[in-house]
Amino acid sequence: MPREAEPSLNEKQFILQALQENLRLDGRQLDQYRPLELTFGDEYGVAQVSLGKTKVFAKASAEVTVPYTDRPLDGVFTIMTELSPMASPAFEVNRPNETEVLLSRLLEKTVRRSGALDTESLCLVAGQKCWSVRVDVHVLSHDGNVIDASCLAVVAALRHFRKSDTSMEGGVLTVYTPAEREPVPLGWLHSPFCVTWSFFGDEGETAVLDATRAEEQIRVGSCTISLNRHGEICQIAKLGGTPVEAVALLQCTSLALTKVKEFSTVLDRKLAEDSKRRDKSGRAAELTAENDR
Amino acid sequence: MATAPLLVLPGDTIDPSLIPTHRKQPLRLGPGLRHIPPSEIVPTVAGQLVVDPKKNSMWVEYNGGRYIPSTHDLVIGQVHRSAADLYYVNLSPYTANAALPHLAFEGATKKTRPQLLPGALIYARVTLANRHMDPELECVSSTTGKAEGLGPLTGGMAFDVSLGLARRLLMARNREEGRVEVLELLGAEGLAFETAVGRNGRVWVGSESTKTIVLVGRALKETDEGDLTVEQQRKLVKRLVKQLR
Repeated sequence: MPREAEPSLNEKQFILQALQENLRLDGRQLDQYRPLELTFGDEYGVAQVSLGKTKVFAKASAEVTVPYTDRPLDGVFTIMTELSPMASPAFEVNRPNETEVLLSRLLEKTVRRSGALDTESLCLVAGQKCWSVRVDVHVLSHDGNVIDASCLAVVAALRHFRKSDTSMEGGVLTVYTPAEREPVPLGWLHSPFCVTWSFFGDEGETAVLDATRAEEQIRVGSCTISLNRHGEICQIAKLGGTPVEAVALLQCTSLALTKVKEFSTVLDRKLAEDSKRRDKSGRAAELTAENDR
Repeated sequence: MATAPLLVLPGDTIDPSLIPTHRKQPLRLGPGLRHIPPSEIVPTVAGQLVVDPKKNSMWVEYNGGRYIPSTHDLVIGQVHRSAADLYYVNLSPYTANAALPHLAFEGATKKTRPQLLPGALIYARVTLANRHMDPELECVSSTTGKAEGLGPLTGGMAFDVSLGLARRLLMARNREEGRVEVLELLGAEGLAFETAVGRNGRVWVGSESTKTIVLVGRALKETDEGDLTVEQQRKLVKRLVKQLR
């Protein structure tokens, strides 16, 4: 199994020394993200997020399937993650390493288990037919903090996604093409985002946001906090590493909330811009079959 | 050169009038050119063809790609592990380790050789670079027995830059030929630092002050990524130094 190239002793020492003096190699503040870029594709449900040199691509898609027998009233929702050798030579195809397993687990906990997507609205015929929504996450380039970027990409892709409109008449299910009826958005309840803190120093006293790859390689611990802009925490993952003071963690959580609010604003703005770009005729409002919730 | 740069693509035919002729010295081909016997010279990469009639040599200047060691290159390597009588040194994450004999340091004997830990950085010269063979390094000039600036690098920070920028920084007249002046400008602003440039795309910067190292690293990175001209480099240095103060 290929191993990632480790930073040299000089680099390790220097990055730690600089962090002690509140300096980062790219001139950022300790709690500052790299420039965030979010773009949507021509198709519905395609989103690409870049945080500095980290790039993540997410694509949402839906098809009609049979629901699980133990959950006849729910649709199916899956998130597939893939870290290909394109992102880093340390990744292999079909051999998930720790990063990939943790990433898919965290996305699962943040987006799926927090009930961000209303899976009941995906049900078409109880016990017989439902929508299966699937998001594929591809990490195109890995320069640290893949988790936050992936989570943002998944949420953006799902919020941007439109599934085909359907109707039930006399026991016959009709799925309309986009030409026949305007596709409808998914039943979306809240938008959770991940914020990852990295800890440095002997007792994890220096907390840093949006660590680059070099910083990730020498950190003593990390903590991923998922929450939405109302401050509702979906999960906190502190997987091993040096123990961190509870008070420091509380501070991290409250700072995470401000970051999440920023993400939320950016996403809302980008979605509005995108829908404006698509709505050339200005008739999207009357074409839509969507009802106000 | 006065004329416009001549760009070549892999497999192009080179105009015979461009090939330098010299009475005594043999023609030397640098990186990016390949001699197909009996009398054909073909570029293997896309880039700018450079001809030096005085040294009777020609090569292709290109940016990017992976570092391929060639003899007399100055490189910054990272010690991977120590074996019985040599260090295995990593030049880049994707190439085989190079061998650096324990005794290839200035004044080194079995007892006085420097003890390098895995991960230590060294500045070395490539002595052997054959295809299908692991390259070999030295930290001492084999003719004079002096270090000549080579050896272990302590403290400081190593930054990754593109191969093209590393090459431009290493040029004797890097301002005129390489169009890179950023280090001189930073020095002129009163920052005290020292650098070692490795042909394998690594620049080591050492200084007493952490801030200075961060600043030099940012200046190098921005020059590299933005492909800045000398004028833009001047502005960049002014901006960065202003932030520092």
